[in-house]
Amino acid sequence: MKKTLLFFLILNLYSQDIVSRNRRCFLCHGKEDYKIIEDGKEKSLYVSPGEYYQSVHKDFLCTACHYDVTTIPHLRKPKKIHCLQCHYAGNVVGAPVKEMPEKYKESIHGRAKEKGKEAPDCIDCHTTHYVRNPSDSLSTINKRNVPKTCGKCHSLVKEEYFKGVHGKALLKKIYETAVCNDCHKEHDIFPPEDPRSTLNPKNVVATCEKCHSDITIMKKYGVPIKQVEAFKESFHGIALEYGIVKSANCVSCHGSHEILPSKDPNSPIHPKNLANTCGKCHPRASENVAKGKYHVIPYEKEAGVVYYVYNFFKWFTFLVIFGLIVHIILDLTGRGLRKFKK
Amino acid sequence: MKGNRNILRFSLNWRIQHFLLMISVFFLIISGIALKFSDSWFGKFLIFLEGGFEARGALHRLSAILLIITALYHLIYIIFTKEGRKEFKSLIFEKKDFSDYFSLILYNLGKRNEKPKIKRYGFREKLQYWIFFIFVLLMIATGIVMWWHNYFFIFIPKWLFDLIYGVHGWTGTLILIFIILWHLYEIHLTPSNFPINMSFWDGYVSEEWLKEEHFLEYEEIKKEGK
Repeated sequence: MKKTLLFFLILNLYSQDIVSRNRRCFLCHGKEDYKIIEDGKEKSLYVSPGEYYQSVHKDFLCTACHYDVTTIPHLRKPKKIHCLQCHYAGNVVGAPVKEMPEKYKESIHGRAKEKGKEAPDCIDCHTTHYVRNPSDSLSTINKRNVPKTCGKCHSLVKEEYFKGVHGKALLKKIYETAVCNDCHKEHDIFPPEDPRSTLNPKNVVATCEKCHSDITIMKKYGVPIKQVEAFKESFHGIALEYGIVKSANCVSCHGSHEILPSKDPNSPIHPKNLANTCGKCHPRASENVAKGKYHVIPYEKEAGVVYYVYNFFKWFTFLVIFGLIVHIILDLTGRGLRKFKK
Repeated sequence: MKGNRNILRFSLNWRIQHFLLMISVFFLIISGIALKFSDSWFGKFLIFLEGGFEARGALHRLSAILLIITALYHLIYIIFTKEGRKEFKSLIFEKKDFSDYFSLILYNLGKRNEKPKIKRYGFREKLQYWIFFIFVLLMIATGIVMWWHNYFFIFIPKWLFDLIYGVHGWTGTLILIFIILWHLYEIHLTPSNFPINMSFWDGYVSEEWLKEEHFLEYEEIKKEGK
């Protein structure tokens, strides 16, 4: 009993110790207007203690990362630090290690960074001092905040995104909608030319299909379900399956960031715009391309006249097979009977 | 086939047409069925054999050109040659074909003792010819629309395209079924011709065979011979 009490007491003291020891840092860095001039620019050195103590790193001393700060006030600028300082396999502080950093190195952002170009590193999306768990609704990488986080750099895409169905759904707090990383992935983002990319023409259908073949989600929001299946059975779909990437995939007609329903006059799949959309590949496409249904399975009634023709052929073919087999049997029976009589 | 094959039943011209039709339809079917079953191992294997998806399309179109040439050749044959006109006339359905058909069924069931006497072309051959005639026309017409779809977009609405795509595929399937269960069975695999009736290649049949299968043609030849 005494021992447990003592244990909790020490634990309590220790955690208090973190707050009190960090308080010495926040004495300066906790002031909102704390800044220096660096390279002729103002640079804020403010770290919000309130937000810091809600982050996943709340139980760490400032000096756990900024290890070169040994005296306070520190006289020199601390060295630049990196997440991989702790987040490496075999670390002793218990920092979770995932395959993310490895994936990141291969990605378009990691490669650009390696070449010295301006590209996001861990902290640009995860934040420096306020890293929260992705399931935390205030996390920069929580689904509801992802477009904002990516939009910090990709601002035009962000604008387009919020005009499209997926962005509008997000604004309506429908969290089954697709945000940036649902299609692009996050750590392993590749340019579409890369065969590993989720948005390589060969992979686009599978990427959209993740959600658009999910009956529960699609039914909930009244989105047609059979679209992907019907597409795969169409000539475009089959050609894509066999690696003919000049064939149309979902994005070719629907667009990507600003996807709009066919009812919307700005949508590339609005009946009035279809001739133009098909015309991207089929130069003589006219308003005729809007006279018919898209992504319907011929064996379903909504296919209209096509449904009846397919069904006619289906039954006719069965009938023909049956009839022809009957004739073969008749021929063989006749021969058998005559032989038997002899 | 029993006996000495010494009666020339099919002219060289006839055999060339049959050969061209056979080759083109064979390649059309294996390249067409490859697309129709492209999601199964069977289709994947056929597409692999044909050298990939685009090569499959090229093979289909090349064979289609051969089929169109064959069809035009045949049209010229039945319109402008004496032999062709005669052959065509003997391929037109008449009342006798229907009665022959029912007599053959009764004969096979053992209700009749006499086999119907068949002319040069009986209902079996006529059905074959006309089904092919109609189906080939249908396939060429729908095939041309799909081949030059970029031009046909000018006049053809999307739903009609879908329909043409379906009709082409289904008619192709019917042709395949018909070739296997009717043409191959009746001409080659039926016990009296098994395993193959070589007359399509050299044109010759035996006297016994002709007497059995096309009695009236046999009689005519005998008459002419005398």
